[in-house]
Amino acid sequence: MAKAAAPPTVRTGVRRRKLMAAAGSALVLAPFTTRAATTLHVTVAYYSAATGPYFKQMAKEFEAANPGITVSIDVVNWDTLLQTLQTDISGGVTPDLSIIGTRWLLTFVKDGMAEPLGHFMTPEFQNRFIGAFLEPAKINGKVYGLPIAASARAMFYNKPMLTKAGFPDGPKTWDDVVAAARKIKAAGGYGFGLQGKAIETDVYWYYALWSYGGELIGPNGKAAFDSPAGVKALTLYQTMVKEGLTQPGVTDDTREDVQNLFKQGRVGMMITAPFLINQIASEAPHLQYGICPVPRGTTSATYAVTDSIVMFANSHAKEAGWKFLDFLFTKGPRVQFNKNEGFLPTTKAAAADPYFADNKQLQIFVSLLPEAHFAPTIPGWEGMAQAVIDAVQSVYLGRAEPAAALKLASVQADRALSGD
Amino acid sequence: MVPWLLIGPSLALALVVIVYPFLEILELSLHDVSPFGLVRGFVGLANYARMLEDPVFLGAALRTLEWTALVVGGTVILSLPVAMVLGEDFHGRGLARTIVLLPWSMSLAMAAIVWLWSFNGDYGMVNAVLKEAGLIARPVQWMARGDTAFPVEVGVGILVSVPFTVTIFLGGLASIPGEIYEAARIDGAGRFAQFRWMTLPLLRPFVTIAVVLNMIYVFNSFPIIWVMTQGGPDNSTQILVTYLYMLAFQIGRPGVAAAVSVAMLAIVFAITLVYLRLEEREAA
Repeated sequence: MAKAAAPPTVRTGVRRRKLMAAAGSALVLAPFTTRAATTLHVTVAYYSAATGPYFKQMAKEFEAANPGITVSIDVVNWDTLLQTLQTDISGGVTPDLSIIGTRWLLTFVKDGMAEPLGHFMTPEFQNRFIGAFLEPAKINGKVYGLPIAASARAMFYNKPMLTKAGFPDGPKTWDDVVAAARKIKAAGGYGFGLQGKAIETDVYWYYALWSYGGELIGPNGKAAFDSPAGVKALTLYQTMVKEGLTQPGVTDDTREDVQNLFKQGRVGMMITAPFLINQIASEAPHLQYGICPVPRGTTSATYAVTDSIVMFANSHAKEAGWKFLDFLFTKGPRVQFNKNEGFLPTTKAAAADPYFADNKQLQIFVSLLPEAHFAPTIPGWEGMAQAVIDAVQSVYLGRAEPAAALKLASVQADRALSGD
Repeated sequence: MVPWLLIGPSLALALVVIVYPFLEILELSLHDVSPFGLVRGFVGLANYARMLEDPVFLGAALRTLEWTALVVGGTVILSLPVAMVLGEDFHGRGLARTIVLLPWSMSLAMAAIVWLWSFNGDYGMVNAVLKEAGLIARPVQWMARGDTAFPVEVGVGILVSVPFTVTIFLGGLASIPGEIYEAARIDGAGRFAQFRWMTLPLLRPFVTIAVVLNMIYVFNSFPIIWVMTQGGPDNSTQILVTYLYMLAFQIGRPGVAAAVSVAMLAIVFAITLVYLRLEEREAA
């Protein structure tokens, strides 16, 4: 008679105790194992619908290569970014890394919020960057932010409209712009798209100011935009508004509104950043347009902007944060980001990539960089900007004359600049 | 002693929720605050001085009084007949009441966005309808100038305040006994006389409540103007609360913004006291 094998049961004393011991130690050790993993909180600004997915993709790739680090991405709109960071700072719950407008860096540094990155940066790392872009984020000789996005501004023009107006290669000077706008108006379109509302309304006027040789701030640190060059530039815009050479609702149109009108083929000329190329390609692929430098006055000029990614001084994950930054600024991630958003390359490797080297449209922007004015990293930029916006709006509305409006704005701006 | 013990916890909670933020703001207004909210140093009344020197502040203060008067006045004048109609019995009254109350269910920001797009100069429904009806030849740029944008914003303000005010008045009308109207009719009073000498005086306490509450809400009402014009262009639609927001979060002067906040509290407190005092005297 075969002996029936006794089925192994957990009722057996020794086995049961072993199982309990294993379960018990797992439970006790669990908190320790999860605490060994670092979570990196990164706040990024919304540039387009591609921004969130891009950073989440980068986070995934980074996590795969660095087990033990979790990256959490938070996407915030630009117009609420400053306020979000302010609330986070006041509440003591800052992220580890965040994208910011480079001009905010000065206050960040003054309040001791930003971590100087010098001691993380090897010479090899520093050399990855195109020098000009690293400068705006240097304060007192220390680098506090890395240039994550950079753009310069140029003029986009509607080819059929401008060819009919006699400028098939786009206008070269402001006189050309006025002449072309008159012809476009006669044909029923809007000549020059002029932004009169919301952020960067002041910058839209600076293009003209700088092209007449004007400056924002004088050597003594005071406002210098109420110079003859400034008055000339603002009078030019005032004339265009009065003569109906712009779109009708100037003070109701943000830059996005003017871009929408351009994409619909209703506006002949406007000045903006390279990301419009991507937008036109996806939203208005049949639009025939060209790109040319910002019109000359007495000189050539444009506006270049960088956005920086900074590390907070009170972060508990600085090593992990630096590793992520290192990863973000290698060639692959950089090229992908610039491709998605239409920004200019800030690293030499990305600039050498065939996508940029052979891209005629982007090369126009790149060629403008030598004459580009960067927003100076000064305290009180926002206060000065608001004063200028109020002044130009009052002129566009016909409530004030350029000289008087600019004089008033310079008084307000001086107060803001002196930190009052 | 026992009454105090019973209401003690609620009183304490109310005090904490109301008094603590007020003390915080008062403290912030007396210090130099960095754009990122870090308190730097005691500066006494410097923020208040800075506030009073700003030309935008005075304009915003006057416009806030204008805004409050127009919206509250318009709301009360519009809500009274609406409430009286809704107080009558008719077919579809339930539906009518629901429709009148609907704007209350939308957030102010949503309502403002919808109307902002409706009044858009290039794509808005309002211009399209007016053009179809032949009332305008070319599109009107409603939101481009303060003198057209401000009335639009007042209109939106009235629209979103009507449901609440109608509800108060409906409650008031329901509290008036029906017999007195019968008695008045028997005595020969016409409908207008009934309204002027009976309904209105009996509704007076409810009108007072509606006016005071609306005054407080409207004085502090931020979303409508901020979403539609951000106080621009050129500060032509700026009111105190949007000016305060701009100071705190865009220009980066939270200390001065705190001073404006304290000034606003003082103003709305004063207006409310004056109004209640006038009411008392009239009613007496």
